[in-house]
Amino acid sequence: MRAEAHAEPLLVVEDLTVSYHRVPAIHHLTFSLGRGHCTGIFGPNGAGKSTLLKSIAGLLQPETGRIMIGRRELPKAAPLIAYLPQRESVDWDFPVTVRGLVEMGRYHHVGLLRPFSEKDDEAVEGALSLFGLSDLSKRQIKELSGGQQQRAFLARAWAQEADLYLLDEPFAGLDRGSAAGLAGALRTLAARGKLLLVSHHALTEAADLFDTAILLNGEMVACGPTPETLSPRNLECAYGTAVYSGGHHHAHR
Amino acid sequence: MNATGLLNALTEPLSYSFMQRALLSCALIGFTNGFLGTFVILRRQALLTDALSHSLLPGLAVAAILVGLSPGGLLLGGLIAALLVALGGQLVARNSRLKDDTAVAALYIIAFALGILLLRYARVKVDLVHFLFGNILGVGDGDLLISYGAALLTFGLLVPFQRPVLLTMFDASVARACGIRTGWIEAGLLTLIVLGLVASLQAVGVLLSLGLLILPAATAYLMTDSFGRMLWGSALLGMAGATAGLLLSFLANIPPGPCIVLVLAVFLGAAYLLSPRHGVFVRFFRGRHLHEESLRRWAGHEGHDHDLPGGS
Repeated sequence: MRAEAHAEPLLVVEDLTVSYHRVPAIHHLTFSLGRGHCTGIFGPNGAGKSTLLKSIAGLLQPETGRIMIGRRELPKAAPLIAYLPQRESVDWDFPVTVRGLVEMGRYHHVGLLRPFSEKDDEAVEGALSLFGLSDLSKRQIKELSGGQQQRAFLARAWAQEADLYLLDEPFAGLDRGSAAGLAGALRTLAARGKLLLVSHHALTEAADLFDTAILLNGEMVACGPTPETLSPRNLECAYGTAVYSGGHHHAHR
Repeated sequence: MNATGLLNALTEPLSYSFMQRALLSCALIGFTNGFLGTFVILRRQALLTDALSHSLLPGLAVAAILVGLSPGGLLLGGLIAALLVALGGQLVARNSRLKDDTAVAALYIIAFALGILLLRYARVKVDLVHFLFGNILGVGDGDLLISYGAALLTFGLLVPFQRPVLLTMFDASVARACGIRTGWIEAGLLTLIVLGLVASLQAVGVLLSLGLLILPAATAYLMTDSFGRMLWGSALLGMAGATAGLLLSFLANIPPGPCIVLVLAVFLGAAYLLSPRHGVFVRFFRGRHLHEESLRRWAGHEGHDHDLPGGS
């Protein structure tokens, strides 16, 4: 695995199994990834892409194994993680502006009552300008295009000073222009030493978007540089067989 | 009526001590419940809150049977009954095929029926109408104390914890990923909302208590895109509506509970029609305006940010 070449991986996943109602969704996953990578998670529906992201975010309890982020386990590692939910799960009518959203990223730095310091304001401004949102900062979040909305959430994660970005299907429903804008934003983040973990269901252009890939099928099929990981042989293995679900019979969408 | 006469008519109610007390009570619970309403609206729990308001009744009845009509007993009884229905609904939904809306609805209507029956066995003669519609002019020291307590707890908890609460409401899973204990925050919010309901019983009763919570907040929601302004604007609207409604009811000699709710309804109606950004009129008349049209196009899921001129 290419990530092992790095002196110190940011994310280490060891023997991770996560279950819903005692039916495992992902089985004994082991991998590690260093900073500066944009990693795509691929696999058929029900392969455990969202499950993997949610368990790294600490939203699901592992049944076996452990997750280390920057040598720390959850919940201590929580400030290092930014989890970007699927678009449908966000209430876009919520009374918050783009700036207000990005300010939320600073909350754990400022604590409960302390007002925003100059440093916090600078972090917010910096995040807005990095993602090209400075002129839109007073907009309510519904008044943005799909691509701008994704960038606003990335800006919040940037203001949080997170190292590990977890994105659940961020390209779903974006048109080509917005998708290109988002891809550019992801590359910027990787170039600045962040680690991005992105679930994605289209295989076309995968190598352009992601330098590393994880291919899942309930189990780990392959992990490493994108072209090798998504080889025809591996894809046949991931998509050509039924998703492994521990001998239980359960429906997948 | 000349000017002096009008002034006298308006200040006359203030000279009665029962009226001063009622006004103070209305201002307090209007402000507190308006503030709490923001959380009800943004978490889409208006109907759950309605269910909780009805489920107060058996708690009040049991309290009336055990300790009579002491405000403390009624507070505790109502609080326990509503929390039992809320938690019971969750428990039933989790352990059966029933979804949580059905479970809560079933439990609250059962509780309501039980409450009506139980009231017959109260030690003191209790008027069901009093519990259902309130009696603001009969506000006693104990009731005022409960209003003060509810206000103190609400602002004492929600102002310091505003940031984690906001994160939790906006996106609970992201908040949990940030290490916030969303379960505690949600349970705390629910408890405060029930406390707000109980505090408003004397003023508007079980059946109308929902109005003080959701009408001002819904109005503010239509008027602003800022969470802070919605929060405090809703509180001010609640206070203004509750006191204005009470005065109006005195002057026109009509029941105060419905009067308060209807004044709040006028606020909501005005915002629904006239809100500068989200009102019906603006949408209708400015629909063809070029700027609005392009705004709407951007707001849709088919984004075109790559060809925005400078993004404005």
